[in-house]
Amino acid sequence: MKIPRLNNALKYAWIGYTAARSELTYRAANVSRILFLATVLFVFMRLWSVVYAGLGTEQLGGLTQTQMLWYLVATESILMSMGRLWYEVDQDVRTGALAVQLVRPLSYAGTHFGRSMGERTVRFTINIAVGSVIAMLLTGPIAFSISGLAMFILVLPMAFVLDFLGALLVGLCAFWLESTQGIALIYSRLMMLLGGLLLPLDVYPESVQPFLRALPFAAILHAPGRMLVSPSASLFFQCLALQAVCLAVYGAGAFALHTYALRRLFVNGG
Amino acid sequence: MIGSLGSYLKLAATYVRFNFRAQLEYRGAFFSQVASMFINDGAWVVFWLLFFKRFPVLHGWSLTDVIALWAILTAGFGLAYGIMGNAIQLAGCIAQGEIDAWLLQPRAVLPHLLLGRSAPSAWGDALFGYIVYLGFVRPDWQRMAAFILLSLAVGVAFIGFGVLAGSLSFFLGNAGALADQWRNTLISFSTYPPTLFQGAVKILLYTVIPAGFVSYLPVETLRSMSHIYALLSIGGALCLLGAGAGAFYMGLRRYESGNLVSMKG
Repeated sequence: MKIPRLNNALKYAWIGYTAARSELTYRAANVSRILFLATVLFVFMRLWSVVYAGLGTEQLGGLTQTQMLWYLVATESILMSMGRLWYEVDQDVRTGALAVQLVRPLSYAGTHFGRSMGERTVRFTINIAVGSVIAMLLTGPIAFSISGLAMFILVLPMAFVLDFLGALLVGLCAFWLESTQGIALIYSRLMMLLGGLLLPLDVYPESVQPFLRALPFAAILHAPGRMLVSPSASLFFQCLALQAVCLAVYGAGAFALHTYALRRLFVNGG
Repeated sequence: MIGSLGSYLKLAATYVRFNFRAQLEYRGAFFSQVASMFINDGAWVVFWLLFFKRFPVLHGWSLTDVIALWAILTAGFGLAYGIMGNAIQLAGCIAQGEIDAWLLQPRAVLPHLLLGRSAPSAWGDALFGYIVYLGFVRPDWQRMAAFILLSLAVGVAFIGFGVLAGSLSFFLGNAGALADQWRNTLISFSTYPPTLFQGAVKILLYTVIPAGFVSYLPVETLRSMSHIYALLSIGGALCLLGAGAGAFYMGLRRYESGNLVSMKG
């Protein structure tokens, strides 16, 4: 018996699987990313060491120095696992490759979703493994619990989906803009600054914290990061609720933009 | 020699004019890239504003010092790659055999090749560096003059470093990823106060990862207006340029044409 929806899901899962295998073959790119991750972690470790020593305090924003570095491992691993999806979509629109993809029996967004998740799974796994080794060497371990790790793993897929939708929205802007490079750069900086990568949200002035915690950037970076270093059931449910709301908003935005953009598509033959 | 230098400066001015005109054909893309790079750099300054609001002093460095560091770094980086944009893509050009066209030009290969392209977003960096230094640091005229001179030295250092990293492709095959990685590491270290790093790392920062010459020494010069630091900054930049040019011409002897057929406008 054929189950059409299951077959569809299997098609995209297969695309994800082939993308993951393909990602594993680019060893130089993986090594390069690992080296960059190591550099960033080392620099941040030095920065926070000086801050903790200068203030003579054990905790900042509820995090010890060791937890701070592990928080950075989690958030950097998430951020650096995202490919340049916006660029691929931008190029598909600009070169007309999108028209070729639309005649295939596959959803355009679904194909990118499958590929993005496959690549991202490999990149994130490598990043978090290497980042953990670096954190162990630089500051030592933190206390993990099975429930904490389980909650961290459960909030990750939704964080990846939200990040994918954000990048898709940026890429689809190519229908209206000459170049999406600028908007992609600004989006990534907003993610780093407002998502709690450069400074955990708990260190921001208290007046702006509620606003920052309600943004999708927090659902992608800060919440999973905190889940790894100081998990709690309340944080877990808050994170899931925020992710669900953000998914509805991002999903509706991406669907509307995708539908509207395809109406503007002109194929000039060739 | 002065005549030759003047002739090359004229060539550079002509290239800058042509590259600008080419970029302005895609006006929207050009201005959006400049603006977004300006905002990108601004995000880092916002980070440091928030940081210093919470933690006022960092090993003797104040917010003004860190902003001066960002200003000199972005101004130098912007000038370097705004004028000589090919320095950032050199590794790929060599690996793909794309420098044939430059070998036929009646000038020295390296300056011609480097001037052949401009990175649009780099102008956003340059603009950011000068505006932020004037707006936040509010320098007197001596410091402003020193800033302009040092931003040129930082630009020279970035070009020398870019050529050195890119020339690895002559020896290692496609070294694009390695060159990018080396440059990213340099930038990562250059954007933080040098007082964070001690011991062997400090030695690395004046040798393998020459952050000392693209940000630390120039900022120390601006902080203390010391002639010694100024000379070290300029001397270091010229050494990097010499090392880059030496590696390029040594590697050029090993270059093999890609037999690539292409049009050059």
